[in-house]
Amino acid sequence: MNTKLSAGLLAAGVLLAPGIAAASTPSCGANTGEAATGAPILIGGIHGNAAPGDFSSATDAAAAYFSCVNANGGVHGRPIEYMVENDQWNPELAARAAAKLVTDAGVVAMVGNSSFVEMSVNAPLYASSNTMAMAAGCAASECFESSNIVSTNQGPLPSSVGAAMYAVEELGATSVACIGLAIPSVGNWSCGAVEEYMASKGLSGASVLMNPAAPDVNSALLEAIASGADSMLVNLPVGLGIAYFGVAQEQDLGDVYSWTSSTPIYDASVPGALGDYWHGKVYVSAELTQIDGDGPDNLNWQAVMDAYASEDDPRDIFSQSGYLAAKFFVETLMDMDPAQLDDRAAVTDAIKAINGKTSDLVCGPYYVGEADRHMPNHAGIIVVVKDGGFEKVRDCFEYEGACFDGLIEAEKALGLR
Amino acid sequence: MQRLLPYLGYLGIMVLAYALFASGKPMKVAGLFLVSGLAVGSLYALGGIGMVVLYRASGVLNLASGAIGALGVMVAWQLQQWGWAQPITWGVAIALAAALSLVYGRLIAPGLAWRAPVVKAVATLGFALVVLGLTAFAWEDDVRKFTLPTDKAAVMILGLRVTVTRLIVVGAAFALVAGIWLYLTKTRTGLQMRALANDRDLSAMIGVNILRVESIAWGIAGVIAGFTGLMFGDLVRLEPVVITFMVIPAVTAAICGRLDNLGLVLMGGLTMGVVESLLTLSPALKSARPVAPFLIAAVVLIVMQRGQRLLFARD
Repeated sequence: MNTKLSAGLLAAGVLLAPGIAAASTPSCGANTGEAATGAPILIGGIHGNAAPGDFSSATDAAAAYFSCVNANGGVHGRPIEYMVENDQWNPELAARAAAKLVTDAGVVAMVGNSSFVEMSVNAPLYASSNTMAMAAGCAASECFESSNIVSTNQGPLPSSVGAAMYAVEELGATSVACIGLAIPSVGNWSCGAVEEYMASKGLSGASVLMNPAAPDVNSALLEAIASGADSMLVNLPVGLGIAYFGVAQEQDLGDVYSWTSSTPIYDASVPGALGDYWHGKVYVSAELTQIDGDGPDNLNWQAVMDAYASEDDPRDIFSQSGYLAAKFFVETLMDMDPAQLDDRAAVTDAIKAINGKTSDLVCGPYYVGEADRHMPNHAGIIVVVKDGGFEKVRDCFEYEGACFDGLIEAEKALGLR
Repeated sequence: MQRLLPYLGYLGIMVLAYALFASGKPMKVAGLFLVSGLAVGSLYALGGIGMVVLYRASGVLNLASGAIGALGVMVAWQLQQWGWAQPITWGVAIALAAALSLVYGRLIAPGLAWRAPVVKAVATLGFALVVLGLTAFAWEDDVRKFTLPTDKAAVMILGLRVTVTRLIVVGAAFALVAGIWLYLTKTRTGLQMRALANDRDLSAMIGVNILRVESIAWGIAGVIAGFTGLMFGDLVRLEPVVITFMVIPAVTAAICGRLDNLGLVLMGGLTMGVVESLLTLSPALKSARPVAPFLIAAVVLIVMQRGQRLLFARD
């Protein structure tokens, strides 16, 4: 896979290099410089933005990319109308949002979805309505175990397993406490996979699950200490993660344990919020490649955000993920017969036919296929919080574990290995 | 002796929780959870004390205190980002909270003075949502951290490193109970507040300036809300929604003191914190931690209300 991966990245670089010769000039869709006209192609997107976390950066980035496409010839000359709803972490609102977009508005696909609850609630609707969701911020198991949802991000399970692998292989961890959210199909699912990975190595792991609204983060820290772990894996949304590191700092535990985290901590504002105390101590498993990377797609993502997004929109990993989902989606539409762009079934078939798309933003190929489970992104990098930013300490590596065996078989069947 | 019974009751609940969940555990581990629980409980108590002070004087259960405190600490954080000296930002936060509280107390609360206590409480909830909405409008959800210089110093208590900030919270809770008791019993305004609490109509008839006394109470409650917001912003997390809804455990602490007795509010808050923390040690019950404060408040209502006045029967 590594050979194919390197070749893919090289090819992407060669193909895209002319388009991003000037980093500030975004390259989108047909890249004609002419505004699209005619009837819009209807696309939906749902994010979750409420306490305890804002996951709107994925749809923000997808919206920016679609705006860029619309300003550059659209899809076969037609603009994309991107309708975004906020589920506010509320299952009822999530169901209502999907019904509004899929049933009432009749979108041909969902793109950039990013939520803790939306996919769990709406996966049956997407399947029954034959609508594909090219998500960008999956978090719950249902999101990855659905026939009609595929995401560019990894979600907490692969990301946490990657963090645990690094803790064992590089930091000498023998017992990892995984601190996750007590949300069904999220914390127990991802921290459970960490426990399985540790057991497969003859080591021990423990799950510490905390209520997302709990004001008392101290008890979770104490529970993790009481588990006897020698390494802490923080698998929490960024706000709670910062609070957890805060109480650990209060106990001066920075050097007592080795510290790893899943992706949410990989946010440009985190090193400043953590402070000098944590610099050089927190290793983060990044689901996509570096935010400040110099690959062609990463530079284009930055250019698109600068030109078509608000200055306040976060430039984080979910933003990269939303951009990538939108880009792969537009590429897929561009390859379709223009007469079928409003036909949901045809769009779904085209998305399911995606096989082996590459980008410098992800470590492996992106594919969909006909399957009940989709998790194309299961390789990542490790960065460490350092000098007010992040520094890459391990390049792309594939995650280990029984939970990835089925995916590897599927990739072999698709000729990706 | 009878006055001590409720205090002993709370102590009993803490001892029972310790015996049920921490017995058999090494003292080092159990001590950590005990001290951690006391630290969190003092935060609940601090929020509850501010509520009870105002409720006693005005009959208003102020559910907006969390939102007011959240706005205060967000302003303090913002000013620090602009390079303002920390002590000035704390002063601005507390002054802003007091001003917001006074605005509500002078402009909105008098219009509801003769309505049922529940209506008054719900009106403050509306105010809380307005303040929270403004705060969310001004500051998008982002990664922020609010720290105090006292976070860096700490003492070891039963194996747990307790920062000076947490000690300040515990100390402030005790000091507020003592200070407000002295204020209510030794000053003329305090006497008038107690008169208002007893009977608003009669107090007006004997010449108590109700608006003035209530304004002072709203001002004090605002200062406490501002201070509490700074503490929550540092010790819980700098998220306006989370700080706003810290008012929920604060209400349960206030109910533990029957919206009247500040000493019992303090003990109730500490008990809630300790029980919640010790539940973490029980694999079977640790997922029930979030409901522990409400369970304790419910037990308190059932046990302590029998044969006595109802909570919301003041007016």
